[in-house]
This record gives sequence, structure tokens and C-alpha cells, in this order.
Amino acid sequence: MLEVRDLAVEFDTEHGRVRAVNNVSFSVNAGEVVGLVGESGCGKTVTGLSLLGLVPSPPGKVVHGEILLDGDDLLKLDEAGMRRIRGSEVSMIFQEPMTALNPVLTVGYQMTEVLRLHKSLSQQQARHAAIDMLGIVGIPAPSKRIDEYPHEMSGGMRQRVMIAMALSCGPKLLIADEPTTALDVTTQAQVLDEIVRLQHQFEMAVILITHDLGVVAQTCQRALVMYCGQLVEAAPINSLFASPLHPYTQGLIGSIPRIREHKIERLPVIEGMVPDIAALPDGCHFADRCNRVQADCHERSPVLTPSADAGAVACWHPLEPQHD
Amino acid sequence: MAAAPETIARVAAPPHQGLWSKAFHKFCRDRAGLVGLWVVVLYAIVALGVWLGLWASDWAEVTGPKWGPVSAEHWFGTNLIGQDIFARALYSTRTAFELGLVVAVLSTFVGAVLGAFAGFFSGGWIDELVLWFMGVIDSIPFYLLVAAIAFSLGDSPYAMYIAMIATFWVGTSRLVRGEVIKLKELEFVEAAHAIGLSEVAIIFRHILPNTFHILLVQATITFVAAIKSEVILSFLGIGIQDGMSWGLMIAESTIEVLAGFFNNFIAASLLMFGLVMAFNMFSDALQDALDPRSVR
Repeated sequence: MLEVRDLAVEFDTEHGRVRAVNNVSFSVNAGEVVGLVGESGCGKTVTGLSLLGLVPSPPGKVVHGEILLDGDDLLKLDEAGMRRIRGSEVSMIFQEPMTALNPVLTVGYQMTEVLRLHKSLSQQQARHAAIDMLGIVGIPAPSKRIDEYPHEMSGGMRQRVMIAMALSCGPKLLIADEPTTALDVTTQAQVLDEIVRLQHQFEMAVILITHDLGVVAQTCQRALVMYCGQLVEAAPINSLFASPLHPYTQGLIGSIPRIREHKIERLPVIEGMVPDIAALPDGCHFADRCNRVQADCHERSPVLTPSADAGAVACWHPLEPQHD
Repeated sequence: MAAAPETIARVAAPPHQGLWSKAFHKFCRDRAGLVGLWVVVLYAIVALGVWLGLWASDWAEVTGPKWGPVSAEHWFGTNLIGQDIFARALYSTRTAFELGLVVAVLSTFVGAVLGAFAGFFSGGWIDELVLWFMGVIDSIPFYLLVAAIAFSLGDSPYAMYIAMIATFWVGTSRLVRGEVIKLKELEFVEAAHAIGLSEVAIIFRHILPNTFHILLVQATITFVAAIKSEVILSFLGIGIQDGMSWGLMIAESTIEVLAGFFNNFIAASLLMFGLVMAFNMFSDALQDALDPRSVR
């Protein structure tokens, strides 16, 4: 349904031109939940924003690539065409529910605005649709709460409102950019469950952008791992966690704290620092931190190549697939 | 089962209170602000009465002797040609309100729109253009600008209005521009983009409503500034052209003061002082009440 080919996004910075997303290709099938994982600054949010044509420009620019939504290239659309897609075909929810709703407008105003923009509804019809939607995302007494201002709601409640807004026009694809990071743990679980439930109910695809592998394990069917603007591994969840192929993925999984298992002195970490994306090393960007590094890693950049188990990995010396 | 969420909502939900009703409650606790508001309302009633012809309609007629003293018939005495100074002072209240309201509303509107566009597209050509206009207007002395506009309009009664609107929007605009530069980085603006709103819709429907607290305070400040400027401009002869105003009364009193007759001067000064003072108190309290940073 969604197919991204060779997407590259660059930013003009004080240190010159920086490539935030480097030749990324992936696809998302209808009704699938895909996790986009990586550290801060690895380009996952920029990838999400570029799907909606929302990369801040200037300084950002999509250099090349194709974003095919049901076969139509979104990058070829003009601004007006893109506006028709946003909020109706492809929706987005953001990290900070505290600031993602306009503080001086009621929840009802903001919800009916989306509905009236994309569907020809009267004020009354839009209000009813908004109330229904608030009920669907699990807000109690929606016909009362619709007239409240965002500051009268809790963080989890606001994130539910954001989800309701994003889903109100029945999008095919929902991009959720760290939707639970700003919430406390119990609310996090509720909101994630809600997203999964609604994804089934509305039969839409979800791209879940997160740095939290726990969230990915809990909700996604497939995960894409990004490092320094590049896709380093793509795999179904089960094989990703059971047998990661890229040393970086292995490092990420290894550094998740496990409280139920035997006590360990120190949490394993990936040695070294993420390189400055303004001055990336030649060859594999992960080479300097990799425990499987060999001479050729510094010379040639690995490309994403399909592996067993329907996955793909960008590494010259990937780990052996394990079967249990 | 169905009743459970309802109960939770009733317990959890705080008393329904919008941003404005919160500000209103805070304002009501400010005694100086309330006094100011009531004085302003009193002045407004006087002005409205004049406008409806209920009183002071004989301000231009000769109703008493030259330089008549304070009496039951003429509360503030009469002027050089025997007109009732009290009636003239009341009539001037209307002039002041007309001027203050028109200038405050229009210059705040212009300032808000230009400031919002400049801030939203900060760094772009719209911003450069608006900033250039602000710089040009700031660099022209105000009274010179009024005189120039008055001459170019052939002594039109609107010259002063136009000059004031053309000058006073700049202050509001700078404030709004700064606020918008801050606001546009917030996530709700990105979210508004993400639902497919156009930039103009985002500016008017999502960003400008977030600057209303600034606009309201700026409008009250502009109101006072307009009234004070009118007095000076009318005194200089480039202000109100027909009608009566406190400035014209003070201009009139310049000959009278030499002769030891102070009624015109005192009446106009007192009434203006009362209104400006009250408006300032009101405006201060409004600023405190609407400041999102101050707690309750």
C-alpha cells in the first residue's frame, strides 16, 4: 500500500549540508503495524514527516526518492494536493500531547475542523461524528468533554483526543511519532492497546516511530531499524528479537534491561558514540562501534539485502541466523 | 457497567472553566482594576449619552455670560463667549471615545495581522517587508507624520485618525511577531499542518487566537495613547478639526489662563486625567489577569 523508494532528505545547517535520511526504502502493507526504531537523531522522525510532506523547508529538502501511496507518488503532488492527503488518507499523531492541541480552542472545535475540512459535513453532523469518535477512543462522557479545553484533560486523555482527530477521517495510514513517550507507564500501555485495537477496527496501517524496543515488541508485526539516516535492518518482530542479524540491532536488544532474568552487574551498552551526521565515516557508519568490524567495513557502504525469514540487513558480516 | 465511566468523569473533571473565565475571576479579585473598569464604564455611559443626544447637545450654543463663574446652572462656569464648559467637557468625552475606539480597534487589527504574517514567515520576504515598514514608521517623528498627512489630505478630519493608526500598529505588530515566532514552533502548529490546513487558515484560526491576550492589552494601551496624543495634536491645531475635544479646550484656555480664568483648563485636564488613569488601572489589571505565566 505504501512504498518508499530511495528516499533522501537533506538539511542545510551551519556545518554544511547534512543528509538526515539516506536512500531509505521500505514498504508497508495495508493493515500492518510497522515499527520504525532508532536512537535520537537517526532520521526516523524526518522519515515520518516526509511521508506527509511536512519536512520543514527551508532548511530541509527531499533530494530524491519516491513515496507511493497506492501507486501515486506523493512527492509529485503540489501543496494543495498534499493538503487533501494530510489528515484524510495519511494522519499523524505526535509525541507531546501537552502541546499538540491548541490551548485556546476547545477539543470540539479542533475535532470538527478536521472533519469539515475533508468531508462535506454540516457543523451539527461534524459535532456528532466528533463525539462518536471520542467515544470510540475511550473518552468517558464524550458529549460533555467535547466542550472542554485541552488544559482540562490529562496527558493520556489528550493523546486519545489526538488519536481521535487523526482517525476521524478514516486514514489508510497512521504515522505515530513517539505517541507514548511523554506518558507515564500505565497510560502508555493503555494508549498502545488503544492504537492496536483501533488499527484492527479501522483496518489501517500504522507506522510506529519509537526508540523503545519494548513498545515495538508489544505492538508491531515488523520493525525497521535506522542508524544515522540509513535503514540497517528490517525484519518481522519474532525473528528480529530472536535472532537479530545486524550487530547494531543486537546491541540495541542487548541493552534492554531485563528485570526478571538473572542479576547483572552492568547493563550492556554499545561502545562509542553515534558519529556526527555532518561528518560520517566512509563505509559502514556503524563500523567504529561494531564488534564484528573487519577491514572492508571501512571501505564500502553495505546495502540493504534480503535475508532469510523475510528480513533484510545492511551489513557485510551479519550475525548468523539462529533457529530454535 | 455503562454508568461507571460517567461516575469517574464526574469525580475527575474539574469545574468547567475556560481560559477567559479564569482570567475574568482573577480580574475580579483586583480591586484597582475593578475601580478602573467602573470609571471607564461611567465615562462610556456619558459618551453614549452624548452620542444619543441625551445631554450636552447645547455645547456649541451661547447659554451664559462671558467667563461666568461656577454655578448651579453652569457647573464648570462658561467660557470666553459664554458657552457652558461642563457641556463642552462632556461632549469631548464622546470625541475621546470615538477616537480611542476607532484607533485602538483598527491599529490593533492591522498590527495583529501584519505581525502574525511577519512572524509566521519570519526570515522570508513578507517578514522583511513588514519589518522595513515598521522601521520607516518608527524613524518618522510622530507629530511630523500627522502634520504631513493632514496637509496631504487637505485638512481632512480623518488625518489624525489615519496618522495614529499608521503609527500605533507598529508596537502591537512587534509584540505579535515575537509571540508568533515562538508559537509557530509549538507542536499544535505542526499538528494543524498534519491535518491538512492551509497556512493562512493556521495563522488566523490557530495562531492569532493564541495572541488575544496580547491584543486586548495592546488595544487598551493604544486607546489611552490615542486620547493623550489627541490632546497634544488638537492643542497644536492639527488634531480635531470640527467638534470639541479636551485638547481644543486646553488650546482655548491658553488665552484665558493669562487672564486668570482656569475653568476650561481644569475641566478638560481633570476629565482627561480621570479617564487615562482609570484606563491605565484597568489595563494593568487586565494584563495581570491574562498573563499565562502568572499563577492564579
